[in-house]
Amino acid sequence: MKDLFKDILSVEGIKGVVLFSFKGEVLFKTFLSAIPEDPETRDWALFFDSIKKVGESDLIFEDGRMYLRKTELGFLVILMNSTAPVALVRLNCDVLLPSLKPAKISKGLGRFFKR
Amino acid sequence: MTKNVLIVDDDKDLLVSLKEGLGKYNETFSVFTSENGLDATEKLKKHTISLVVTDLKMEPMDGFSLLSHIMENYPDIPVIIITGYSTPEMEKLAKKGGAVGYISKPFIIKDLAVKMLTTLRREADGGTLHNVSSGMFLQLVEMEQKTCTIRLEDTSSGRKGVLFFKDGELFDARMNDLQSKDAAYEIFSWDQVVLSIQNVCQVKENKIQSDLQGLILEAMRLKDERSGAEEESPDVPEPIPVIEEVKTEKPDPVSSVRSRIEKNLGARSGVEDIYLDSSWNDLISQMSRLGAFFRIGKIKSVFVDIGETRNFILKQDEETTVVAVSPKCPRDRIMQILN
Repeated sequence: MKDLFKDILSVEGIKGVVLFSFKGEVLFKTFLSAIPEDPETRDWALFFDSIKKVGESDLIFEDGRMYLRKTELGFLVILMNSTAPVALVRLNCDVLLPSLKPAKISKGLGRFFKR
Repeated sequence: MTKNVLIVDDDKDLLVSLKEGLGKYNETFSVFTSENGLDATEKLKKHTISLVVTDLKMEPMDGFSLLSHIMENYPDIPVIIITGYSTPEMEKLAKKGGAVGYISKPFIIKDLAVKMLTTLRREADGGTLHNVSSGMFLQLVEMEQKTCTIRLEDTSSGRKGVLFFKDGELFDARMNDLQSKDAAYEIFSWDQVVLSIQNVCQVKENKIQSDLQGLILEAMRLKDERSGAEEESPDVPEPIPVIEEVKTEKPDPVSSVRSRIEKNLGARSGVEDIYLDSSWNDLISQMSRLGAFFRIGKIKSVFVDIGETRNFILKQDEETTVVAVSPKCPRDRIMQILN
């Protein structure tokens, strides 16, 4: 899975990637720098239910940015610093997201993904 | 994407040992060699070189002349000087002439390799993208009004080229001995490319002077001509939509937002409407939770695509200002302007 996000994670300024299911469960997470809190400690169900209509979103905060994208598995959230090349991140998502599909029954985390 | 490095020195033994010693980095770069500056200029024409490492004292055409030639014709290619006749004055002169590094002989190959790798890494400081359609990406660069140098490699033929963008305008292109439009036509005909982005553009003069869309279309036409497939419709990217005129009847802060966008982007903004709408407040409030969780401060602006024919850029102050935009608007620029 980390391999799938390799190009995104290699973009300068990317701090991490989290893939949430539509119910808010963390399906995958990887961070390139320390984060204040593990996203698995929160219940995200209501949050993702409230943004279920959103297909894509760019969010600019005072001290960073986030890119949110709906996939077939759930929502991909990419955390980055304010200077990260977001257009490149979006394009990387265009390229990789077709590979991110529910797979047929198999064991382990791999059952969620198809490359 | 493997890069090409050109090492220029009249010491044949040194060239052999450098080629051998640097062989362990062949996954990162390939080494070409020349024994003098003149031969190096020919190699620069024939290959897409990412870095030149050159001695200073050579005949014919010494290292300073080569450095000057590179700065004039290939300003994007960094040059590292290696010399056995090092003086502080010479080092100062080389750096003033544009050299990015200076190493005195004798040196350890590993030290040179580290310097080379550090320099080459800058070539992709804006990221790398694999197997992408060049047309789609380049139109995005234009729309986002980026300033950058893009190095591309055609995945089917392995050919390499360079494009120079200044504020989204294609200023120059190079592919082996092809320059400007000829090089652009060739590069735009590649279907799938690997590309790396450097967030600077050393080219100052616009040598292309043409609209990117027109260049891409012409490249497709030439490609069709070459392949003798005139009857097939070319796989051209979608044209950039005509930008609708911005309405001017809204009160502040709408008029403030509108004037800032118009001032910075003019008719290419892709803005369809600007208005106040508090029905977005809940969504912004939810999105703020993400920022709070990751401790990255208050939310400043949000772009959102909810599957409608147009997208929305939201800016929350006392009320939410909504900028309705076409899907191909330069969203990053608009968000920057709003912030």
